[in-house]
Amino acid sequence: MGITRGVIVTMLFGLVLFVLIPIYVPRPNFIPGFAPPPDMWPRAVSILGMLLGLLLLGLSLSKKTEAIADPEAASEIRGDTPLGKLMARFGLAVLAFTLFVVAVELLGFLLACILLLAAVLVLTGYWHHKWISLSVAVGLPLLLHLFFSSALNTRFPAGTLLKALGF
Amino acid sequence: MLNDLLIAFQAVATIENFLIMAAGIWGGVIIGAIPGMTGTMAVTLALPFTFYMQPIPSILLLVALYKGSTYGGSVSAILIKTPGTASAACTTLDGYPLARQGKAGKALNMALYSSCTGDFISNISLIFIAAPLALLALRIGPPEYFMLMVFALTTVSGVSGRSLILGLVSACLGLLLATVGEDMYGSFRFDLTMDMRGGLAVAPVLIGLFAIPELLKIVVFRNTETQKAMQLGDNRVTREEFRRSLKSMLKGSMIGVIMGAIPGIGPSAAAFSSYGEAQRSSRNGENFGKGEVEGIAASESANNGCCGSTMIPLLALGVPGDVITGVMLGAFMIHGMTPGPMLFETNLHEVYMLFIGMLFSSVLLFGAGKATMRFFSHISRIPPGLMAPIVLVLCLFGIFSISNSMYDVIVLLAMGVFGFFMFLFAIPAAPFLIAFILGPMLEENLRRALAISRGDPSILVSSPITWLFASLAVFVIVITIRQQLKKAKA
Repeated sequence: MGITRGVIVTMLFGLVLFVLIPIYVPRPNFIPGFAPPPDMWPRAVSILGMLLGLLLLGLSLSKKTEAIADPEAASEIRGDTPLGKLMARFGLAVLAFTLFVVAVELLGFLLACILLLAAVLVLTGYWHHKWISLSVAVGLPLLLHLFFSSALNTRFPAGTLLKALGF
Repeated sequence: MLNDLLIAFQAVATIENFLIMAAGIWGGVIIGAIPGMTGTMAVTLALPFTFYMQPIPSILLLVALYKGSTYGGSVSAILIKTPGTASAACTTLDGYPLARQGKAGKALNMALYSSCTGDFISNISLIFIAAPLALLALRIGPPEYFMLMVFALTTVSGVSGRSLILGLVSACLGLLLATVGEDMYGSFRFDLTMDMRGGLAVAPVLIGLFAIPELLKIVVFRNTETQKAMQLGDNRVTREEFRRSLKSMLKGSMIGVIMGAIPGIGPSAAAFSSYGEAQRSSRNGENFGKGEVEGIAASESANNGCCGSTMIPLLALGVPGDVITGVMLGAFMIHGMTPGPMLFETNLHEVYMLFIGMLFSSVLLFGAGKATMRFFSHISRIPPGLMAPIVLVLCLFGIFSISNSMYDVIVLLAMGVFGFFMFLFAIPAAPFLIAFILGPMLEENLRRALAISRGDPSILVSSPITWLFASLAVFVIVITIRQQLKKAKA
C-alpha cells in the first residue's frame, strides 16, 4: 500500500509537471517588469509534490521507516470484503453520478435528482424501507425545487427531451 | 469612551433592534447549517432588505447573519460531516466522531459555548484594540503575508492527519488545484474546458471533498455500524470537560482575533492553527481527531473569534478582510458612512452603537443555539443510509443555486470521487482545503514580493515579521516530525 501510494503520488505530480504544464500553462511573450512567469508557481508545487511522493516511496521500502508514511490505513478501512465487490459498488456509484449529469440535459434537474436519489438509496441498501425511500426520493427534490425557485429565483434546467415532448 | 459606550447601550437596547438581531442570528444559524448555503449568501441576500432600514439596525442584521451562519456551519459539520461553511471544516475532525459515538449533543454544546466565548472576546477586542491592531496589520506586506500563509499551511498539514508527509502532499494537491483558471496577470492555466477558465469555486470543492466521500463510503463499504441510527445519549458538557477545554478556548479566541484582523486570512486558517496549537499543547493531544471536545473548543472559538476582528480592518482602515465584510462595506456606504480612520470622527456614536450591538448578538447567539440544539440533535438519529443520499440532493440543489451552472455541480461530484480516493490513500482532506483557499493569495503575494525584489528570494526573510513566521513554521515541522518518530518507534 505504501509503495503504491508513493508511486501514484509521484506519477500524478510528474504528469502535471511534464505533460499538463507544458501544454496548458503557456508562457506569454511579454511579462511586465520582473514579474515571475505564470508557470513558476505550478512548477514549484509540482516539483515539491514529486519529491514528497518519492520520499513516501523511499520510506515505504524499509521496514524501519514505513511507519512514518502510515501504510496501514487502507487495509484497516477495507476490512474483509473482496476487492472486486468494492470496486463494483464504487463503479455503480460513479455511473449513477455520470448518468445524472447526462439526465439533467435530457430530463431536467428535478427529474434527474429524483432518479439519482432513488438510485443512491438502492446503493446504500436503504431501499428495503420502500415507502420511506420512495416518499423521500420524490418529495425532497420537489420541496427543494419549490423552495429554491420561489425564494432564490433559481432557474433549474428543464431538459431538452421533456421540452421536445411538450412538457 | 465609557460614557459614549453607555449612551450607545441605551440607543441599541430597543425591542426593535433585539428582534432584528434575533432574526439575523436565527436566519444565519439555519442558513449556515444547510450544506451549500454560506454566510456570504445570507449576508448578500439580506443586503437589499437593509435599503429600507436605519443604518445601525441594518448593519446589526448583517453582523447577526454572519455570526449565526458561522455557528450554523458547525451544526452540519458535527452531525453529517458536511461543513456548512469553510471555517467549520476543522470542527468535523472531532465533532463528527463524537456524533458517531452518540454524543452529538455534547459536541453541539461545546461548539456553542466556544463560539460564544470566541465571539465575545472578539467583540471586546474590537472595542479596545481596533486601532493599534489595524496599524500593525498595515505593516504586513507581500513577503510577510506569504510567510504567514506558509506557517498556516504547515500547521494544518502537521495536525490533520497521521503523517506530516501525507499532509504536505494534500496541501500540494490543493495548491495545484487553486491554480486552475486566470492568474493575477491574466494568463489562463489548466483551461481544459472553457468553464475552467473561471477557476474552481470554493463551495463545490469544499462540499465535494467532505460530504460526497461519506456517501461513497456507505455505498462501497456498507459498514453495518454506519447503518445504525445514532442515539442522542450523552448531551451535556461536564464541568471537567469545560475546565479542560477553557485554555484552548481562550487561546483559540485570541488566535481568531489576531488572524481575523489580518485582511484575507480568514476564519478557516485561524480554526486550523488554533486546533494545531491545542493538539500540540494539550494533555489529550493523542485523542484529537477521535472525538475530543477540546478540539471542537479550539476550532470553534477561533473561527468565531474572527467574526468581530474582521471588522477591525474594515472600520479602522476601510479595508474589507473577506467577501462578507466586503458586502458590509457596501452596506455602510449605502447608508452614507465611509469606513476608515475618518469614521471614528464623523460617526463615532454609530460606531459605538455597532460595538454594543455586536456584544448583544453574542448573547443572542447563545440563546438561539440552545433553542435550536434539540431540533438539530435529532438529525443525528436519521440512519446514514438515508441521511447521506438526502445530503447529496441538498448539496446538488445548494451548489446549483449559487452559480446557476451545471459546471459547479460536476466539480462537486468530481471532487467527491477525488476525496474518496484521498480517503483510500489516507491523505487528509483538511490541508487540501486550506491550501485551495489560501493558494491564490499565497501565489499572488510570492509573485508580488519577487517582482518588488527583482527576482531576489531573500526578500522572503528580510523583516522580523517574516523571520517570526518562518521560525514558527520550522518549529511546527520539527515538533510534528519528533512526535511522529516517537509514535513510529512505539
